[in-house]
Amino acid sequence: MSEQLQTTFRDVLRSVRLWHIWVRLGFLDLRMRFRRSAVGPGWIFVNLAVLVVAIGFIYANLLGQDPRDFIPYLTIGLILWNYLTNSIVEGGSAFVNCEGYIKQIGLPIYVYLLRAFVSVGLTTLITMCAFVIVALYYRLPITTGTLFALPGLAMITTTSLLLITIFAHLNTRFRDIAHMAQVLLQVLFYVTPVIFPADLLLRRRPNLAYVVQLNPMYHLIEVVRRPLLTGAPADWHSYAAASVILIVLGVGATMVIAVFQRRIVFAL
Amino acid sequence: MASIHLENVDLEFRVGAERHDTLNSVLAHRFGLRRRRVPRTVNALQNVSLSIRAGERVGLIGHNGAGKSTLLKVMAGIYPPQRGRVAVEGHVCPLFEFVTGFEMEATGWENIRTRALLLGMMPKEIERKLESIAAFSNLGEFLDIPVRHYSSGMYIRLAFATSTAVDPQILLLDEVMAAGDAAFIESARDRMNDLMERASLVVFATHSLDVLPRFCERTILLRKGRVVADGPTEEVVRLYTEGQPVTEPTLANAELARAGSPR
Repeated sequence: MSEQLQTTFRDVLRSVRLWHIWVRLGFLDLRMRFRRSAVGPGWIFVNLAVLVVAIGFIYANLLGQDPRDFIPYLTIGLILWNYLTNSIVEGGSAFVNCEGYIKQIGLPIYVYLLRAFVSVGLTTLITMCAFVIVALYYRLPITTGTLFALPGLAMITTTSLLLITIFAHLNTRFRDIAHMAQVLLQVLFYVTPVIFPADLLLRRRPNLAYVVQLNPMYHLIEVVRRPLLTGAPADWHSYAAASVILIVLGVGATMVIAVFQRRIVFAL
Repeated sequence: MASIHLENVDLEFRVGAERHDTLNSVLAHRFGLRRRRVPRTVNALQNVSLSIRAGERVGLIGHNGAGKSTLLKVMAGIYPPQRGRVAVEGHVCPLFEFVTGFEMEATGWENIRTRALLLGMMPKEIERKLESIAAFSNLGEFLDIPVRHYSSGMYIRLAFATSTAVDPQILLLDEVMAAGDAAFIESARDRMNDLMERASLVVFATHSLDVLPRFCERTILLRKGRVVADGPTEEVVRLYTEGQPVTEPTLANAELARAGSPR
């Protein structure tokens, strides 16, 4: 490995060790976003709640679903979908937003990726409170089986970090990538089992099963959603798919770091 | 032991609008919809080699655009050179332009904490020094409001107060005393001296040739990205002020000039 590449990977490790910096920056980032709003960080929560109520009751009727099952399903689905989407779209501006710091202070740049990771993660945690309320209201079963959600959470959290890494580099170099991704994700949203249950589609049109099975977002969401809703682990396909996705993203993130290294600063 | 070592460093910038900075423009070019514009390359630093050891205070002079700021940023690890080696030992504390690097919605206090963290101060140290930083900035109650309301002078006071509270091993200064009102400059001078004394190694880019001999025993003269002189401050300054030479001045020429002038 060339000397430069060694330095770069040492920089990545150095960045991780500087957790006292990026954790604080992540919290600060979140506080700042809602400084000027009336409700504060609660706004994220209200946003989700309104969405759940609006979509929930209409689609429950439309799709012939029992709200007691559908509302929790929808809530956790939206939360996890937003987690992934924010990782891509907001993660994309991780470097761009910190341009001032990057060009003035010689910290290894990967702390800014970790900052974004904390910021996006905290936002998601806040919305999880909405799910907790929904779960309590609809008396979702909480068993030991619910703990199966933990490996799922580990997978989706790692995915978030890897997506932030990949898109922060790509979007800094090509400033329209985050926007393009956002547009594509909007389309993907309508075919992903978030606002409709997967088995509804699979029962009515079994030949469209591939739409669900080939959708990476679906699997990443399922490994967390299924245990939380039913206390049982998700299908093994989903764990397998999520693992493959993690490997692919891991390779992607490594490649993107190795290709750009510190030269990403020239794209700022 | 703190040290800075540069070997044959080249730094190039590929300039602005000529670059493809969107995927759209790359694709458009690929499909022949847009003429390829040739990107321009600016050679900010050319074949720069220098070595600075602990205990040295080195000045950095040259005309605007000579590459002083760029050289400092290479030393700080902000810009990686295209060619050559950079080896820096010790914790670097850069004091560069203060205009960016603020959280606009955050209060003065929050910005002090953030900046101090980024400069390498540990949280406990920051809390200890918070009062004295706030006192020196002289911003009083303004620290409680978001900094987006600040004037440019206030930004400078805030950033300066924070940045000068670090304990640096290597201090890199880029023309930081240029702005601010008279009273501030006076108090800043003492604080700067203090800071420079605490540092093990200082590189100080400046246009103020009168203060330079007081701080730095050695000075490097840059011209168009090249090191044209590297030696005792008084001589290099003389070379800079006396010459607008037709040929590129070199160290050899400086020797000749010195030998020729009466001492």
